Amino acid sequence: MIQFKDLSLVYPNGTQGLKDVNVTINDGEFVVIVGLSGAGKSTFIRSINRLVTPTDGELLIDDEDILGYKGSKLRSLRTKVGMIFQNYNLVKRSSVFKNVLAGRLGHTGTFRSIFNLFSKEDKALAYQNLKRVNIEEKLYNRADQLSGGQQQRVSIARVLTQKPDYILADEPVASLDPPTSHQVMKYLKKINQEDGITTIVNLHFIDMAMEYADRIIGMRAGEVVFDGPVSEVSEETFEEIYGRSIREDDLRGSVEEDGEANE
Amino acid sequence: MALEQPQKKQIPTSKRIKRIAIALAVVAMYIWTFASINIDFGRVIERASANFSRVVPRLFSPNWDMAGEVIEMMIETIFIAYVGSLAAAILAIPLGFLAAHNITNSRIITTIGKWILSAVRAFPEIILAILFVVVVGPTPFAGILAIAIGSTGMLGKLYSEVLESIDMNVVEAMKANGANGLQIMFHGIFPQIIPEFLSYAIYRFEVDVRASTILGYVGAGGIGTMIFFAQSSRNWSDMGMILLVIIVVVTIIDYTSSYIRKRIV
Repeated sequence: MIQFKDLSLVYPNGTQGLKDVNVTINDGEFVVIVGLSGAGKSTFIRSINRLVTPTDGELLIDDEDILGYKGSKLRSLRTKVGMIFQNYNLVKRSSVFKNVLAGRLGHTGTFRSIFNLFSKEDKALAYQNLKRVNIEEKLYNRADQLSGGQQQRVSIARVLTQKPDYILADEPVASLDPPTSHQVMKYLKKINQEDGITTIVNLHFIDMAMEYADRIIGMRAGEVVFDGPVSEVSEETFEEIYGRSIREDDLRGSVEEDGEANE
Repeated sequence: MALEQPQKKQIPTSKRIKRIAIALAVVAMYIWTFASINIDFGRVIERASANFSRVVPRLFSPNWDMAGEVIEMMIETIFIAYVGSLAAAILAIPLGFLAAHNITNSRIITTIGKWILSAVRAFPEIILAILFVVVVGPTPFAGILAIAIGSTGMLGKLYSEVLESIDMNVVEAMKANGANGLQIMFHGIFPQIIPEFLSYAIYRFEVDVRASTILGYVGAGGIGTMIFFAQSSRNWSDMGMILLVIIVVVTIIDYTSSYIRKRIV
Protein backbone atom coordinates (compact mmCIF):
# COMPACT_ATOMS: atom_id res chain seq x y z
CA MET A 1 0.00 0.00 0.00
CA ILE A 2 1.24 3.47 -0.88
CA GLN A 3 0.07 6.42 1.16
CA PHE A 4 0.75 10.06 0.33
CA LYS A 5 0.12 12.22 3.40
CA ASP A 6 0.14 16.00 2.84
CA LEU A 7 3.03 15.41 0.49
CA SER A 8 4.63 18.47 -1.10
CA LEU A 9 7.71 18.92 -3.21
CA VAL A 10 9.36 22.19 -4.10
CA TYR A 11 12.26 21.97 -6.55
CA PRO A 12 15.42 23.98 -5.81
CA ASN A 13 14.41 26.45 -8.54
CA GLY A 14 11.14 27.15 -6.73
CA THR A 15 8.81 25.09 -8.93
CA GLN A 16 6.10 23.40 -6.95
CA GLY A 17 6.18 19.78 -8.09
CA LEU A 18 3.60 18.46 -5.64
CA LYS A 19 1.24 20.36 -3.38
CA ASP A 20 -0.45 18.76 -0.36
CA VAL A 21 -1.10 15.46 -2.07
CA ASN A 22 -3.21 12.98 -0.10
CA VAL A 23 -3.67 9.70 -1.93
CA THR A 24 -3.82 6.06 -0.90
CA ILE A 25 -3.09 3.41 -3.48
CA ASN A 26 -4.16 -0.09 -2.50
CA ASP A 27 -2.39 -3.31 -3.39
CA GLY A 28 -3.23 -4.66 -6.81
CA GLU A 29 -4.72 -1.47 -8.21
CA PHE A 30 -4.08 -0.24 -11.73
CA VAL A 31 -3.95 3.53 -11.40
CA VAL A 32 -3.50 5.95 -14.24
CA ILE A 33 -2.35 9.48 -13.50
CA VAL A 34 -3.49 12.01 -16.06
CA GLY A 35 -2.71 15.67 -16.48
CA LEU A 36 -1.01 18.05 -18.85
CA SER A 37 2.76 18.06 -19.07
CA GLY A 38 4.15 19.90 -16.08
CA ALA A 39 1.17 18.96 -13.93
CA GLY A 40 3.32 16.91 -11.58
CA LYS A 41 2.63 13.40 -12.89
CA SER A 42 6.31 12.53 -13.15
CA THR A 43 7.10 14.05 -9.79
CA PHE A 44 4.29 11.99 -8.26
CA ILE A 45 5.63 8.75 -9.69
CA ARG A 46 9.29 9.52 -9.08
CA SER A 47 8.61 10.31 -5.43
CA ILE A 48 7.55 6.71 -4.89
CA ASN A 49 10.98 5.30 -5.70
CA ARG A 50 12.72 8.46 -4.51
CA LEU A 51 14.24 9.49 -7.82
CA VAL A 52 13.04 12.81 -6.46
CA THR A 53 12.67 13.57 -2.77
CA PRO A 54 9.55 15.36 -1.52
CA THR A 55 10.29 18.27 0.76
CA ASP A 56 7.30 18.06 3.07
CA GLY A 57 4.79 15.52 4.36
CA GLU A 58 4.96 11.74 4.58
CA LEU A 59 5.11 9.01 1.99
CA LEU A 60 4.40 5.55 3.37
CA ILE A 61 5.08 2.39 1.42
CA ASP A 62 3.93 -0.73 3.24
CA ASP A 63 3.47 1.47 6.31
CA GLU A 64 7.02 2.79 6.37
CA ASP A 65 7.93 6.41 5.67
CA ILE A 66 10.48 6.25 2.86
CA LEU A 67 11.47 9.91 2.79
CA GLY A 68 14.46 9.44 5.07
CA TYR A 69 15.79 6.37 3.25
CA LYS A 70 19.44 6.36 2.24
CA GLY A 71 22.03 3.88 0.99
CA SER A 72 21.09 0.22 1.18
CA LYS A 73 17.62 0.98 2.60
CA LEU A 74 16.88 3.11 -0.45
CA ARG A 75 18.24 0.46 -2.81
CA SER A 76 16.11 -2.23 -1.23
CA LEU A 77 13.06 0.03 -1.63
CA ARG A 78 13.96 0.43 -5.29
CA THR A 79 14.27 -3.32 -5.80
CA LYS A 80 10.64 -3.71 -4.86
CA VAL A 81 9.44 -0.74 -6.92
CA GLY A 82 10.10 -1.32 -10.61
CA MET A 83 10.07 1.47 -13.16
CA ILE A 84 9.37 1.78 -16.88
CA PHE A 85 10.44 4.89 -18.75
CA GLN A 86 9.25 6.79 -21.80
CA ASN A 87 12.54 6.20 -23.61
CA TYR A 88 12.91 2.57 -22.47
CA ASN A 89 16.37 3.39 -21.03
CA LEU A 90 18.00 0.18 -22.16
CA VAL A 91 21.74 -0.14 -22.58
CA LYS A 92 21.66 0.09 -26.37
CA ARG A 93 24.92 -1.71 -27.02
CA SER A 94 24.12 -4.62 -24.73
CA SER A 95 22.08 -7.65 -25.68
CA VAL A 96 18.42 -7.93 -24.84
CA PHE A 97 19.19 -10.74 -22.39
CA LYS A 98 21.83 -8.69 -20.59
CA ASN A 99 19.42 -5.79 -20.32
CA VAL A 100 16.76 -8.00 -18.79
CA LEU A 101 19.23 -9.54 -16.36
CA ALA A 102 20.08 -6.03 -15.19
CA GLY A 103 16.71 -6.22 -13.44
CA ARG A 104 18.34 -8.65 -11.02
CA LEU A 105 21.14 -6.27 -10.02
CA GLY A 106 19.39 -5.16 -6.86
CA HIS A 107 19.11 -8.80 -5.77
CA THR A 108 22.66 -9.77 -6.73
CA GLY A 109 25.88 -9.26 -4.82
CA THR A 110 28.24 -6.65 -6.21
CA PHE A 111 31.07 -9.09 -6.83
CA ARG A 112 28.90 -11.63 -8.63
CA SER A 113 27.25 -9.01 -10.79
CA ILE A 114 30.54 -7.41 -11.86
CA PHE A 115 31.63 -10.74 -13.31
CA ASN A 116 28.19 -11.44 -14.76
CA LEU A 117 27.73 -14.43 -12.46
CA PHE A 118 23.97 -14.47 -12.43
CA SER A 119 22.40 -17.59 -10.95
CA LYS A 120 20.60 -20.21 -13.04
CA GLU A 121 17.35 -19.13 -11.42
CA ASP A 122 17.95 -15.51 -12.45
CA LYS A 123 18.68 -16.47 -16.04
CA ALA A 124 15.63 -18.70 -16.19
CA LEU A 125 13.52 -15.90 -14.75
CA ALA A 126 14.85 -13.41 -17.28
CA TYR A 127 14.14 -15.79 -20.14
CA GLN A 128 10.67 -16.59 -18.88
CA ASN A 129 9.84 -12.89 -18.66
CA LEU A 130 11.05 -12.29 -22.21
CA LYS A 131 8.66 -15.04 -23.24
CA ARG A 132 5.83 -13.37 -21.38
CA VAL A 133 6.20 -10.29 -23.56
CA ASN A 134 6.78 -12.42 -26.66
CA ILE A 135 10.21 -11.22 -27.54
CA GLU A 136 12.33 -14.22 -26.59
CA GLU A 137 13.58 -14.70 -30.14
CA LYS A 138 15.50 -11.42 -29.86
CA LEU A 139 17.43 -12.73 -26.84
CA TYR A 140 20.91 -12.05 -28.20
CA ASN A 141 20.11 -9.08 -30.40
CA ARG A 142 21.58 -5.77 -29.42
CA ALA A 143 18.93 -3.58 -27.83
CA ASP A 144 19.37 -0.84 -30.45
CA GLN A 145 18.38 -3.22 -33.23
CA LEU A 146 14.85 -3.38 -31.86
CA SER A 147 11.90 -1.12 -32.67
CA GLY A 148 10.52 1.20 -30.02
CA GLY A 149 7.68 -1.11 -29.09
CA GLN A 150 10.01 -4.07 -28.84
CA GLN A 151 12.39 -2.09 -26.66
CA GLN A 152 9.56 -1.12 -24.34
CA ARG A 153 8.60 -4.79 -24.06
CA VAL A 154 12.17 -5.61 -23.13
CA SER A 155 12.01 -2.97 -20.45
CA ILE A 156 8.80 -4.58 -19.16
CA ALA A 157 10.64 -7.90 -19.02
CA ARG A 158 13.46 -6.18 -17.16
CA VAL A 159 11.07 -4.78 -14.60
CA LEU A 160 9.39 -8.18 -14.16
CA THR A 161 12.77 -9.81 -13.61
CA GLN A 162 13.19 -7.46 -10.71
CA LYS A 163 10.15 -9.18 -9.10
CA PRO A 164 8.68 -5.93 -7.85
CA ASP A 165 5.62 -5.37 -5.67
CA TYR A 166 4.93 -2.12 -7.49
CA ILE A 167 5.44 -1.01 -11.08
CA LEU A 168 5.72 2.65 -11.98
CA ALA A 169 5.44 3.59 -15.63
CA ASP A 170 6.35 7.14 -16.61
CA GLU A 171 4.68 7.91 -19.95
CA PRO A 172 5.43 4.41 -21.26
CA VAL A 173 3.73 4.95 -24.62
CA ALA A 174 4.52 8.58 -25.37
CA SER A 175 7.23 7.63 -27.89
CA LEU A 176 5.21 4.88 -29.58
CA ASP A 177 2.65 4.76 -32.37
CA PRO A 178 -1.00 3.93 -31.58
CA PRO A 179 -0.97 0.15 -32.24
CA THR A 180 2.25 -0.40 -30.28
CA SER A 181 0.94 1.83 -27.50
CA HIS A 182 -2.06 -0.40 -27.01
CA GLN A 183 0.08 -3.48 -27.10
CA VAL A 184 2.36 -2.15 -24.35
CA MET A 185 -0.60 -1.09 -22.21
CA LYS A 186 -2.15 -4.54 -22.65
CA TYR A 187 0.98 -6.21 -21.36
CA LEU A 188 1.05 -3.90 -18.35
CA LYS A 189 -2.60 -4.59 -17.63
CA LYS A 190 -2.14 -8.32 -18.02
CA ILE A 191 0.79 -8.36 -15.61
CA ASN A 192 -1.22 -6.33 -13.13
CA GLN A 193 -4.05 -8.83 -13.28
CA GLU A 194 -2.03 -12.04 -13.35
CA ASP A 195 0.66 -11.14 -10.81
CA GLY A 196 -1.32 -8.69 -8.72
CA ILE A 197 1.45 -6.10 -9.01
CA THR A 198 0.21 -2.62 -8.11
CA THR A 199 0.72 -0.53 -11.22
CA ILE A 200 0.83 3.25 -11.53
CA VAL A 201 1.01 4.67 -15.03
CA ASN A 202 1.40 8.25 -16.23
CA LEU A 203 -0.50 8.96 -19.40
CA HIS A 204 -1.72 12.03 -21.12
CA PHE A 205 -4.00 10.21 -23.57
CA ILE A 206 -7.53 10.30 -22.27
CA ASP A 207 -8.89 7.35 -24.22
CA MET A 208 -6.07 5.08 -23.11
CA ALA A 209 -6.55 6.07 -19.50
CA MET A 210 -10.25 5.20 -19.77
CA GLU A 211 -9.54 1.91 -21.46
CA TYR A 212 -6.94 0.47 -19.09
CA ALA A 213 -7.29 2.14 -15.69
CA ASP A 214 -9.22 0.89 -12.67
CA ARG A 215 -8.83 4.27 -11.10
CA ILE A 216 -7.85 7.66 -12.41
CA ILE A 217 -6.00 10.38 -10.57
CA GLY A 218 -6.06 13.78 -12.23
CA MET A 219 -3.35 16.31 -11.55
CA ARG A 220 -2.98 20.00 -12.27
CA ALA A 221 -0.21 22.32 -11.04
CA GLY A 222 1.06 19.75 -8.56
CA GLU A 223 -2.32 19.15 -6.97
CA VAL A 224 -4.62 16.15 -7.15
CA VAL A 225 -7.79 17.56 -8.66
CA PHE A 226 -9.59 14.29 -9.29
CA ASP A 227 -9.39 10.83 -7.77
CA GLY A 228 -11.94 8.16 -8.49
CA PRO A 229 -12.80 4.93 -10.27
CA VAL A 230 -13.01 4.96 -14.04
CA SER A 231 -16.79 4.54 -13.86
CA GLU A 232 -17.11 8.05 -12.38
CA VAL A 233 -15.05 9.65 -15.13
CA SER A 234 -16.59 11.48 -18.05
CA GLU A 235 -15.37 13.94 -20.64
CA GLU A 236 -16.27 16.78 -18.26
CA THR A 237 -13.94 15.29 -15.67
CA PHE A 238 -11.05 15.54 -18.11
CA GLU A 239 -11.98 19.06 -19.09
CA GLU A 240 -11.84 19.90 -15.42
CA ILE A 241 -8.46 18.23 -14.96
CA TYR A 242 -6.95 19.81 -18.05
CA GLY A 243 -8.60 23.15 -17.43
CA ARG A 244 -9.62 23.39 -21.07
CA SER A 245 -11.73 21.57 -23.61
CA ILE A 246 -10.56 18.22 -24.98
CA ARG A 247 -8.65 18.25 -28.26
CA GLU A 248 -7.80 15.73 -30.90
CA ASP A 249 -4.21 15.28 -29.66
CA ASP A 250 -5.38 14.28 -26.19
CA LEU A 251 -6.50 11.02 -27.78
CA ARG A 252 -4.28 8.19 -28.91
CA GLY A 253 -6.93 6.52 -31.02
CA SER A 254 -7.74 2.86 -31.08
CA VAL A 255 -6.74 0.08 -33.48
CA GLU A 256 -7.91 -3.37 -34.39
CA GLU A 257 -6.85 -6.12 -32.09
CA ASP A 258 -4.94 -8.37 -34.43
CA GLY A 259 -1.80 -8.00 -36.45
CA GLU A 260 0.18 -6.39 -33.69
CA ALA A 261 0.94 -9.22 -31.32
CA ASN A 262 3.39 -10.81 -33.72
CA GLU A 263 5.26 -7.68 -34.63
CA MET B 1 9.92 40.49 -65.45
CA ALA B 2 11.46 42.22 -62.48
CA LEU B 3 13.42 39.89 -60.28
CA GLU B 4 12.56 41.06 -56.83
CA GLN B 5 15.55 40.91 -54.57
CA PRO B 6 15.32 40.51 -50.80
CA GLN B 7 16.32 43.54 -48.83
CA LYS B 8 20.09 43.69 -48.20
CA LYS B 9 21.09 42.53 -44.75
CA GLN B 10 21.74 45.59 -42.58
CA ILE B 11 25.09 45.61 -40.82
CA PRO B 12 25.44 48.30 -38.15
CA THR B 13 28.41 50.67 -38.55
CA SER B 14 29.87 49.64 -35.19
CA LYS B 15 30.00 46.06 -36.37
CA ARG B 16 31.67 47.08 -39.64
CA ILE B 17 34.33 49.03 -37.76
CA LYS B 18 34.92 46.05 -35.47
CA ARG B 19 35.44 43.73 -38.43
CA ILE B 20 37.91 46.08 -40.11
CA ALA B 21 39.77 46.53 -36.84
CA ILE B 22 40.10 42.79 -36.36
CA ALA B 23 41.33 42.32 -39.92
CA LEU B 24 43.91 45.09 -39.48
CA ALA B 25 45.08 43.61 -36.16
CA VAL B 26 45.61 40.18 -37.72
CA VAL B 27 47.63 41.63 -40.59
CA ALA B 28 49.67 43.87 -38.29
CA MET B 29 50.46 40.96 -35.98
CA TYR B 30 51.64 38.87 -38.89
CA ILE B 31 53.90 41.61 -40.26
CA TRP B 32 55.28 42.34 -36.80
CA THR B 33 56.14 38.72 -35.94
CA PHE B 34 57.62 38.05 -39.36
CA ALA B 35 59.74 41.19 -39.18
CA SER B 36 61.03 40.42 -35.71
CA ILE B 37 62.16 36.86 -36.56
CA ASN B 38 64.93 38.49 -38.59
CA ILE B 39 65.20 36.29 -41.63
CA ASP B 40 68.17 36.91 -43.87
CA PHE B 41 66.71 35.78 -47.18
CA GLY B 42 69.97 36.18 -49.03
CA ARG B 43 71.64 33.68 -46.75
CA VAL B 44 68.68 31.31 -46.87
CA ILE B 45 68.82 31.09 -50.65
CA GLU B 46 72.58 30.81 -50.70
CA ARG B 47 72.67 27.92 -48.20
CA ALA B 48 69.72 26.16 -49.72
CA SER B 49 71.24 26.17 -53.20
CA ALA B 50 74.57 24.98 -51.85
CA ASN B 51 73.20 22.16 -49.68
CA PHE B 52 70.18 21.05 -51.62
CA SER B 53 72.11 19.13 -54.21
CA ARG B 54 74.33 17.66 -51.51
CA VAL B 55 71.58 16.44 -49.15
CA VAL B 56 68.42 15.73 -51.05
CA PRO B 57 69.66 13.26 -53.67
CA ARG B 58 71.32 11.22 -50.88
CA LEU B 59 68.09 11.19 -48.92
CA PHE B 60 66.46 9.63 -51.95
CA SER B 61 69.12 7.00 -52.32
CA PRO B 62 68.76 5.23 -48.98
CA ASN B 63 71.52 3.05 -47.67
CA TRP B 64 69.93 -0.39 -47.98
CA ASP B 65 72.74 -2.07 -46.04
CA MET B 66 71.30 -0.36 -42.99
CA ALA B 67 67.82 -1.82 -43.50
CA GLY B 68 68.08 -4.64 -40.96
CA GLU B 69 69.42 -2.42 -38.23
CA VAL B 70 66.88 0.32 -38.92
CA ILE B 71 63.95 -2.09 -38.88
CA GLU B 72 65.15 -3.53 -35.60
CA MET B 73 65.21 -0.06 -34.07
CA MET B 74 61.80 0.72 -35.56
CA ILE B 75 60.42 -2.34 -33.81
CA GLU B 76 61.86 -1.08 -30.55
CA THR B 77 60.17 2.25 -31.26
CA ILE B 78 56.82 0.54 -31.77
CA PHE B 79 57.31 -1.39 -28.53
CA ILE B 80 57.99 1.84 -26.68
CA ALA B 81 54.83 3.36 -28.14
CA TYR B 82 52.78 0.24 -27.40
CA VAL B 83 53.82 -0.17 -23.79
CA GLY B 84 53.55 3.57 -23.19
CA SER B 85 50.10 3.98 -24.69
CA LEU B 86 48.78 0.83 -23.01
CA ALA B 87 49.90 2.19 -19.66
CA ALA B 88 48.31 5.53 -20.53
CA ALA B 89 45.07 3.89 -21.67
CA ILE B 90 44.73 2.34 -18.23
CA LEU B 91 46.04 5.25 -16.14
CA ALA B 92 43.66 7.61 -17.90
CA ILE B 93 40.53 5.68 -16.87
CA PRO B 94 40.37 6.80 -13.24
CA LEU B 95 41.40 10.31 -14.23
CA GLY B 96 38.71 10.38 -16.91
CA PHE B 97 36.05 9.38 -14.40
CA LEU B 98 37.36 12.00 -11.98
CA ALA B 99 37.07 14.72 -14.61
CA ALA B 100 33.54 13.86 -15.81
CA HIS B 101 31.00 16.01 -14.01
CA ASN B 102 28.06 13.64 -14.55
CA ILE B 103 30.00 10.87 -12.81
CA THR B 104 31.38 12.74 -9.83
CA ASN B 105 28.37 15.03 -9.34
CA SER B 106 30.75 17.45 -7.73
CA ARG B 107 32.06 20.61 -9.30
CA ILE B 108 35.11 20.63 -7.03
CA ILE B 109 36.26 17.07 -7.79
CA THR B 110 35.67 17.55 -11.51
CA THR B 111 37.68 20.76 -11.52
CA ILE B 112 40.54 19.05 -9.70
CA GLY B 113 40.40 16.20 -12.21
CA LYS B 114 40.45 18.54 -15.18
CA TRP B 115 43.33 20.48 -13.61
CA ILE B 116 45.43 17.35 -13.15
CA LEU B 117 44.79 16.38 -16.77
CA SER B 118 45.70 19.76 -18.21
CA ALA B 119 48.80 19.95 -16.04
CA VAL B 120 49.92 16.56 -17.38
CA ARG B 121 49.03 17.59 -20.93
CA ALA B 122 51.12 20.74 -20.75
CA PHE B 123 54.42 18.81 -21.17
CA PRO B 124 55.45 17.88 -24.72
CA GLU B 125 56.71 14.28 -24.95
CA ILE B 126 60.22 15.40 -25.84
CA ILE B 127 60.50 17.45 -22.63
CA LEU B 128 59.20 14.50 -20.61
CA ALA B 129 61.74 12.29 -22.37
CA ILE B 130 64.59 14.65 -21.42
CA LEU B 131 63.38 14.58 -17.81
CA PHE B 132 63.09 10.80 -17.69
CA VAL B 133 66.47 10.26 -19.35
CA VAL B 134 67.92 12.20 -16.44
CA VAL B 135 65.88 10.21 -13.93
CA VAL B 136 66.15 6.61 -15.24
CA GLY B 137 69.07 6.88 -17.62
CA PRO B 138 69.25 6.80 -21.44
CA THR B 139 67.17 3.65 -22.02
CA PRO B 140 63.92 2.81 -23.81
CA PHE B 141 62.29 2.82 -20.37
CA ALA B 142 62.66 6.60 -20.31
CA GLY B 143 60.81 6.71 -23.63
CA ILE B 144 58.04 4.49 -22.31
CA LEU B 145 57.53 6.75 -19.30
CA ALA B 146 57.51 9.85 -21.49
CA ILE B 147 54.88 8.36 -23.80
CA ALA B 148 52.81 7.00 -20.92
CA ILE B 149 52.65 10.31 -19.06
CA GLY B 150 52.22 12.38 -22.21
CA SER B 151 49.31 10.27 -23.45
CA THR B 152 47.57 10.01 -20.10
CA GLY B 153 46.73 13.69 -20.14
CA MET B 154 45.14 13.61 -23.58
CA LEU B 155 43.39 10.24 -23.16
CA GLY B 156 42.01 11.24 -19.77
CA LYS B 157 40.49 14.33 -21.33
CA LEU B 158 38.98 12.36 -24.21
CA TYR B 159 37.68 9.69 -21.82
CA SER B 160 36.01 12.30 -19.65
CA GLU B 161 34.32 13.76 -22.73
CA VAL B 162 33.03 10.31 -23.70
CA LEU B 163 31.71 9.84 -20.17
CA GLU B 164 30.01 13.21 -20.21
CA SER B 165 28.13 12.24 -23.37
CA ILE B 166 26.74 8.89 -22.17
CA ASP B 167 23.03 8.24 -21.86
CA MET B 168 22.33 9.07 -18.22
CA ASN B 169 18.79 7.71 -18.55
CA VAL B 170 20.27 4.23 -18.44
CA VAL B 171 22.03 5.13 -15.22
CA GLU B 172 18.74 6.41 -13.84
CA ALA B 173 16.97 3.20 -14.85
CA MET B 174 19.57 1.11 -13.03
CA LYS B 175 19.39 3.34 -10.00
CA ALA B 176 15.63 2.83 -10.08
CA ASN B 177 15.96 -0.95 -9.98
CA GLY B 178 18.12 -0.89 -6.88
CA ALA B 179 21.59 -1.32 -8.37
CA ASN B 180 24.49 0.11 -6.37
CA GLY B 181 27.25 2.40 -7.64
CA LEU B 182 29.64 -0.31 -8.79
CA GLN B 183 26.87 -2.29 -10.47
CA ILE B 184 25.74 0.81 -12.35
CA MET B 185 29.33 1.36 -13.45
CA PHE B 186 29.81 -2.16 -14.77
CA HIS B 187 26.38 -2.72 -16.28
CA GLY B 188 25.20 0.77 -17.18
CA ILE B 189 28.32 2.81 -17.93
CA PHE B 190 31.00 0.42 -19.20
CA PRO B 191 28.96 -1.04 -22.07
CA GLN B 192 28.36 2.51 -23.28
CA ILE B 193 31.98 3.65 -23.16
CA ILE B 194 34.20 0.66 -23.95
CA PRO B 195 34.11 0.99 -27.75
CA GLU B 196 34.95 4.69 -27.64
CA PHE B 197 37.64 4.22 -25.02
CA LEU B 198 39.25 1.48 -27.14
CA SER B 199 39.01 3.57 -30.24
CA TYR B 200 40.73 6.54 -28.59
CA ALA B 201 43.40 4.30 -27.10
CA ILE B 202 44.20 2.87 -30.53
CA TYR B 203 44.26 6.34 -32.06
CA ARG B 204 46.62 7.42 -29.32
CA PHE B 205 48.90 4.46 -30.07
CA GLU B 206 49.05 5.69 -33.65
CA VAL B 207 50.04 9.17 -32.45
CA ASP B 208 52.53 7.67 -30.01
CA VAL B 209 54.34 5.70 -32.70
CA ARG B 210 54.99 8.98 -34.47
CA ALA B 211 55.95 10.71 -31.23
CA SER B 212 58.32 7.97 -30.14
CA THR B 213 60.35 8.05 -33.36
CA ILE B 214 61.90 11.30 -32.17
CA LEU B 215 62.43 10.39 -28.50
CA GLY B 216 65.72 8.62 -29.20
CA TYR B 217 67.14 11.97 -30.25
CA VAL B 218 67.41 12.84 -26.57
CA GLY B 219 68.50 9.32 -25.63
CA ALA B 220 65.17 7.79 -24.70
CA GLY B 221 65.44 4.75 -26.97
CA GLY B 222 64.08 3.85 -30.37
CA ILE B 223 64.87 4.93 -33.88
CA GLY B 224 65.49 8.55 -32.84
CA THR B 225 68.94 7.51 -31.67
CA MET B 226 69.83 6.57 -35.24
CA ILE B 227 68.44 9.87 -36.50
CA PHE B 228 70.75 11.63 -34.09
CA PHE B 229 73.82 9.73 -35.29
CA ALA B 230 72.97 10.03 -38.95
CA GLN B 231 72.47 13.74 -38.58
CA SER B 232 75.62 14.40 -36.58
CA SER B 233 77.77 12.46 -39.05
CA ARG B 234 75.91 14.11 -41.97
CA ASN B 235 75.16 10.65 -43.33
CA TRP B 236 72.18 11.52 -45.46
CA SER B 237 71.71 8.19 -47.13
CA ASP B 238 71.42 6.54 -43.69
CA MET B 239 68.90 9.23 -42.85
CA GLY B 240 67.04 8.41 -46.04
CA MET B 241 66.77 4.77 -45.00
CA ILE B 242 65.51 5.73 -41.54
CA LEU B 243 62.91 8.09 -42.96
CA LEU B 244 61.77 5.48 -45.46
CA VAL B 245 61.18 2.92 -42.72
CA ILE B 246 59.39 5.46 -40.52
CA ILE B 247 57.13 6.59 -43.35
CA VAL B 248 56.21 3.05 -44.36
CA VAL B 249 55.60 1.82 -40.82
CA VAL B 250 53.65 4.88 -39.72
CA THR B 251 51.46 4.67 -42.81
CA ILE B 252 50.74 0.99 -42.22
CA ILE B 253 49.86 1.66 -38.58
CA ASP B 254 47.65 4.61 -39.58
CA TYR B 255 45.67 2.47 -41.99
CA THR B 256 45.39 -0.48 -39.65
CA SER B 257 44.32 1.70 -36.77
CA SER B 258 41.62 3.51 -38.69
CA TYR B 259 40.36 0.19 -40.06
CA ILE B 260 40.11 -1.31 -36.59
CA ARG B 261 38.54 1.83 -35.16
CA LYS B 262 35.89 1.85 -37.85
CA ARG B 263 34.98 -1.73 -36.93
CA ILE B 264 34.76 -0.97 -33.22
CA VAL B 265 32.41 2.02 -33.12
